[in-house]
Amino acid sequence: MCRNAFNCHRLVLLALLSFNFVTVEAVFWKSKNSKKSGQEIYKEMCAHCHGENGEGVADKYDESLYGDRSLPALTKYIDRTMPEDNPDKLDAKGAAKVAEYIYGAFYSPAARAKVAPPKVELSRLTVSQYQNAVADIFDSFKEKPSKLTEERGLRGEYFNARDFNREKKAFERIDGQILFSFGEGTPEPVVAEQGTNHLGEEAFAIRWKGSILVEESGDYEFRIKTENGARLYVNGHEEPLIDAWVSSGPNVREESGMIRLLGGRAYPFKVDFFTYKEKTASIIVEWKPPHKAWEPIPRAHLIPQQLPVTLVVTTSFPADDGSAGYERGTTISREWDQASTYAAIEVAGKITDQVDDLAGTKKEDTERKSKLIQFCHRFAERAFRRPLSDEQKKLFIEQHFENVNEPSGQDAAVKKVILLVLKSPRFLYPEIPDGNVDSYDVASRLSFGLWDTLPDKQLLEAAAKGQLQTASEIASQAERMLNNSRARVKVRAFFEHWLEMEEAEDLSKDPLSFPGFNEAVLADLRTSLELFLDEVVWSEKSDYRELLLADYVFLNNRLEKVYQAGHQQGNGEKLGESEKKADEFRKVRFPADQRTGVLTHPYLLSAFAYHKSSSPIHRGVFLTRNIVGRSLKPPPMAIQFMDGRFDPKMTMREKVTELTSPNACQGCHAVINPLGFSLEHFDAIGRYRTMENEKPVNATSDYTTPGGETIQLKGARDVAEHAAKSKEAQQGFVRQLFQHIVKQPAQAYGPETLRELRGEFEKEGFNIQKLLVKIVSLSASHGIKPDTSLAGGNQ
Amino acid sequence: MKTMQRRNFIKGLGVSAAALPFLGSLPSLQANRSGGRKQRLIIMFSPNGIVPTNFWPDEEGENFTLKRILAPLEPFKKQTLILHGVSNKVRGDGDSHMRGMSCLLTGIELFPGNIQGGSDTPAGWASGISIDQELRNFLQSREESKTRFGSLELGVAVPHRADPWTRMSYAGPNKPVAPIDDPYLVFEKLYGQMKDKDTLKSVLDDVQSDLETVSRKLSSEDKRMLDEHLTLVREMEKELQSGGEASLNHAVPKLDAGVAIENDSIPKISRMQIELLVNSFLSDSCRVATLQYTNSVGNARMKWLGIEEGHHTLSHDPDMNDVSQEKLTKINTWFCEEMAHLAKRLSESPEPGGEGTLLDNTLIVWTNELGKGNSHTLEDIPFVLVGNGCGFKMGRSLKFKKVEHNRLWMAVAHAFGHPLQSFGNPKLCEGGPLVLA
Repeated sequence: MCRNAFNCHRLVLLALLSFNFVTVEAVFWKSKNSKKSGQEIYKEMCAHCHGENGEGVADKYDESLYGDRSLPALTKYIDRTMPEDNPDKLDAKGAAKVAEYIYGAFYSPAARAKVAPPKVELSRLTVSQYQNAVADIFDSFKEKPSKLTEERGLRGEYFNARDFNREKKAFERIDGQILFSFGEGTPEPVVAEQGTNHLGEEAFAIRWKGSILVEESGDYEFRIKTENGARLYVNGHEEPLIDAWVSSGPNVREESGMIRLLGGRAYPFKVDFFTYKEKTASIIVEWKPPHKAWEPIPRAHLIPQQLPVTLVVTTSFPADDGSAGYERGTTISREWDQASTYAAIEVAGKITDQVDDLAGTKKEDTERKSKLIQFCHRFAERAFRRPLSDEQKKLFIEQHFENVNEPSGQDAAVKKVILLVLKSPRFLYPEIPDGNVDSYDVASRLSFGLWDTLPDKQLLEAAAKGQLQTASEIASQAERMLNNSRARVKVRAFFEHWLEMEEAEDLSKDPLSFPGFNEAVLADLRTSLELFLDEVVWSEKSDYRELLLADYVFLNNRLEKVYQAGHQQGNGEKLGESEKKADEFRKVRFPADQRTGVLTHPYLLSAFAYHKSSSPIHRGVFLTRNIVGRSLKPPPMAIQFMDGRFDPKMTMREKVTELTSPNACQGCHAVINPLGFSLEHFDAIGRYRTMENEKPVNATSDYTTPGGETIQLKGARDVAEHAAKSKEAQQGFVRQLFQHIVKQPAQAYGPETLRELRGEFEKEGFNIQKLLVKIVSLSASHGIKPDTSLAGGNQ
Repeated sequence: MKTMQRRNFIKGLGVSAAALPFLGSLPSLQANRSGGRKQRLIIMFSPNGIVPTNFWPDEEGENFTLKRILAPLEPFKKQTLILHGVSNKVRGDGDSHMRGMSCLLTGIELFPGNIQGGSDTPAGWASGISIDQELRNFLQSREESKTRFGSLELGVAVPHRADPWTRMSYAGPNKPVAPIDDPYLVFEKLYGQMKDKDTLKSVLDDVQSDLETVSRKLSSEDKRMLDEHLTLVREMEKELQSGGEASLNHAVPKLDAGVAIENDSIPKISRMQIELLVNSFLSDSCRVATLQYTNSVGNARMKWLGIEEGHHTLSHDPDMNDVSQEKLTKINTWFCEEMAHLAKRLSESPEPGGEGTLLDNTLIVWTNELGKGNSHTLEDIPFVLVGNGCGFKMGRSLKFKKVEHNRLWMAVAHAFGHPLQSFGNPKLCEGGPLVLA
């Protein structure tokens, strides 16, 4: 998927303007200007291309006229460039009048908010919200442990037989990974106790049980490598995901399977293994999580605790609308409606299959019907996040059970109820804005905001008791909710979005120039970035500025070889224990000018680069939009960057400077280039360099802030320090986080929302966790009427 | 010539349909015969060998008497071909039951492996594709014979474990295909979507009225999105009403509800599977099917025949144990009754869009993993063929001298217009396809 023109054309260079060519017929115009108002001048000279209210004119200049230039900067720009073909027609005074008029009328963010204030739009569940909500309705009928164990690894039971006969069990131990080569020997207990049975060489069997923890939602591939017999069960005990029970000669076989899992959850996991009359025995169980490379499942993702199955919808939905810069559910399409129907059929089928278990009944139970009706009530209540009215009970549930007495008819009724509930807007829309915000609405806003799912039991109980009314009640729920793996998943997804991490997917680099850069390195880099983000965000300080300024990177041995080789070797200071395992990550500190937070993380530097060389334009665009918080419009025309067209002796900076030199390009590239050039110390895979193309790297340029101030940037750290101090940058971060969490424009919650949130962010030491609580509390309490009682249902 | 439909070709020759069986014997015509009509194959399996004295006709040729076990086939005697003297000569790893099962349709050795039988060396899966899957792939590769599923693998009381005793169908080396032994699951596979559509249809009115109720509470701007949503639901309802059943040329079979998938339900499950199988032919959902009763070494307890012991346990008893032999005869007669019922249902079903009945275009092969239970022999494997799907000359009892069963599968493939040079282990194919036409 491409989110914008920059992503569609990785090789595209921008030539971009905010104002377009305006042809004006008369030259004598100029003298008459002095008496006209800014509005009059605009109408006469500008409106036929830019529209009465700056909305644009088809076939002339169809972009709407808005931006983040300050008034003086805008005045200067208009005076210099407008009207396009004959800027002389408008003198400095006239330009100032026009600038003042459009700035106040529609150009500035404040004006835009006044002209067309964004509103909270009706929206449906996003795909992630749908999947999580279904899983959590199902979960709510299962017994789950309140807390996951801290212990890691799987419980291994070792049998002195080729099956799992209890009487032949020899010993038990916890195994961190399933990564064993027994050769011609046999496994041993960790501590040989007296009376422990040793395993026979001809036959033995092992059963590993526990659960697997996953962070990200997506398709997970699993793989067994063994010359013996093995089966793998993930999220289900009935059908193995991989059945490699029957061996086939002495060679190691590889069998794989794929399953969709939702992030922030744990799934039951089991491996059965046996060998019989085979010369050797070995087994490796590997996985390939989304965005990662194949690896033996790490110990950190395995726990010996057995969790119940989770219902994961496998129906594919069309991607959510990301055109506003964040995924949201404000559009509806035929594909989406169909997907929601198929998904409802899928869920209804799966639930009906096990409805006796879920409802605590059985086919021959005389109370079955009433138990099923009760189950359906609870199902609908959970799906709708509020108690049902009598009318709803009848429509959604009771009518379908009328005159139904046979078990098969009852099953059909359950199926209908589930279909109907999952097709109802009461489920499909996080909130039905009927003008009255009650405690259940607040509960849903909190849970969809921080977790992308339905309210949990505690939230619903609080809603029922009317304990979601005051700011402090709401904030304390939000604080509680932050300490949950689902909040981590949602925040992780924000960072993926903010840092445009999907740009790095399937990235490859010129193997001749970068022989060490392979799929495994790319996957490690992603892990490194994720570790960094988690470390910063979930620390007590949770300091936004550290994201920009940190002078350390998480490296494992493989990454160290690539990123700390050669001349930098002596500079890196290892913070971790050196005796740690080879594939373990540790913080490695660099000189301040060599690494500075996410700006110089090699994963992103590699993503925003060409196959062989850096790309100051991609990097500059990224920094402009996401780090310093400025807006850029998509380029009106695309120019391809063709490396071969330049003198091979030129540096990348020289090439880009030449390519973007036309005035038409400078409107945006005056901002993009200085920022992009500041990262020229990093090559196409993000290694630090001092030379490029046999010339010393020049990363110094002058950058003009939106306020019109010019500052000199000497490298990445200067950009980071500017961004950490810049209110625009901070507000940009607050805005993006707000939109990701709430899925609505921040301005819809009041024109000053962002400014105020930023102010509080600063007051709290730029603590991201506190900002999250603020954002979600603010949006959750939106529209609460202080004088109405909030308890109870209203529909 | 190849693209010409056989019936047209026959017409062009000016011979009547009555002459067809004779023409079928000409090799040049044999290769082309699959173009015109739908040809189908069902392979039915029952385990543990048979009781030879009560099974094999004494006579050879067209005049023969059906013995007790095969007596249920009397109504179809003229469409029956009994092949005595066909042997599974695949050797290598695995005991007779394993090879009997996993080499039965594949005709090729098992891989060495970790599954230990009652004797011999342990073994793994078969090292080649089975004939049903081979023909399925062949039919699916051609536009005129392509169907929704290509093949169905049905089972009756197949244990829930995958090993060389429970699998006879293979999509390729090391790729066993699991039979579905739950008729409700087969029903889901065949008609599930339709049933879901019906359920969906039945709730769409409520979905709409709910959307309308909610819509009334909204501001006019928010309403717009919900109205779009409502329009989509209405369109879906229209689509569901216009399309749907048109493609189905037969009534959806009604299955008895709540039959447990367990030993005592075997007779009911068997009839349900047969009904679904016949229906899948009527709707042309597949052209190839297997119907696997239990598994190699299957130990079903046929209490409905008054037999308490397990089938496999009984099959080990010696020939002189008359009580056991009588029970084994009864068990095998019951399997034959199921085959006869299948033939009957096919013969009662007119060929949709064609001539004759389904049985006229179907070949049923009933076979077994052993010749005889107590000796575990892989010689004289029972092969009883019913139906005219392959243009073989039916109504005969043939006696071969220990010919390889690979050659029978070659004959079936050739009859489907798929002239394989060999099937399974090529060494077991010398002599070419058995001449059965």
